[in-house]
Amino acid sequence: MSNSQFNDLNRSASSTSGRIQQALVEAEINFATGVPCGVLRRVIDYLVCDERVQHVIVNRESEAIGVATGAYLAGRRPIVYMQNSGLFAASNDISSLLIPYRVPLLMIVTLRGDEGEDAPQHLVNGAATTQLLESFRIPYTVYNANLDIHDTVLDLFKQAAATQLPTTLLLKRGWDKT
Amino acid sequence: MDTVSDDDIIIATTGLISREVFERFDSVRNFYNPGAMGLVSSIGLGIALSTNRRVIVIDGDSSLLMNLGTLVTIGYQQPGNLLHIVINNESFGSCSEERSMSGSVSLSGLAAQANYASSLTVFDEISLKNAILETVGKLGFVDAKIELGGRRDFKRPLDLVELKHRFMHQLKGEVSS
Repeated sequence: MSNSQFNDLNRSASSTSGRIQQALVEAEINFATGVPCGVLRRVIDYLVCDERVQHVIVNRESEAIGVATGAYLAGRRPIVYMQNSGLFAASNDISSLLIPYRVPLLMIVTLRGDEGEDAPQHLVNGAATTQLLESFRIPYTVYNANLDIHDTVLDLFKQAAATQLPTTLLLKRGWDKT
Repeated sequence: MDTVSDDDIIIATTGLISREVFERFDSVRNFYNPGAMGLVSSIGLGIALSTNRRVIVIDGDSSLLMNLGTLVTIGYQQPGNLLHIVINNESFGSCSEERSMSGSVSLSGLAAQANYASSLTVFDEISLKNAILETVGKLGFVDAKIELGGRRDFKRPLDLVELKHRFMHQLKGEVSS
């Protein structure tokens, strides 16, 4: 892992990805699970490499919802990451496990199928992602360069604690270029 | 259930298995997964990685087949405090008892291939009890073959938030890392 061309933990603490890491440290995240998306590689690098975080690889996003729920029940502070395609794949698990059991955790989800998308298979999901979250009545924020990502993440943790619901940070391609 | 220690955690799968465990053996150390089909072993894994207590997952054959990748995930993590029991009636028993495909494959063979340290198939209650008593300190899998049928009118777990709070309360303070 340490010699991966994608491993780049020495980035500036003031970069967007450095700021999101800082927020995860401050939120005392100590457990992470999910299915990778290339758009998230800087976040996943951090979750894999930080020894304060137990990172569990899974095969499908549904598994991640289950594993994170178990960790939460046992007193850990988990996060889940996935692409929005996985959010749809795991939608029954969100609606029938996380929400009725009131499991407050942050889901970091990449928003493919947005403006400029070149892959047609993402377009339907891209147009429906925020509607899915709204129909589930779970809080979310679509990150843009006018927001401070550190504060956005900490605010989503606060909303999760206040509502006892999962919250979602939606990240578009290029989110970490700012 | 009389072979299970009071200290063991029980996680029960969707449908009649959760409902029967809830009606007959409810306890603060139980957690029920009534909705997220197939995820009982994933929930059990998350707990097992976070406590030193033994976690007993009560899965169903069709539930396991819905989330077969879980065997690889659990075998990779190798939690020595997880016992994964599959109640196997070779059916979608909680639906209308439609046949499943689990009669065409060895579930304990799949678990062994996925690196479970111990993997058994049992055909009677005494063998199941022995497996529960003897599979300690290593990742275990038991395929418990049973006959299809039985009561269908078990009550449902309803107050899920209260069930969660009491479960978390009894586990509190025992996080291992």
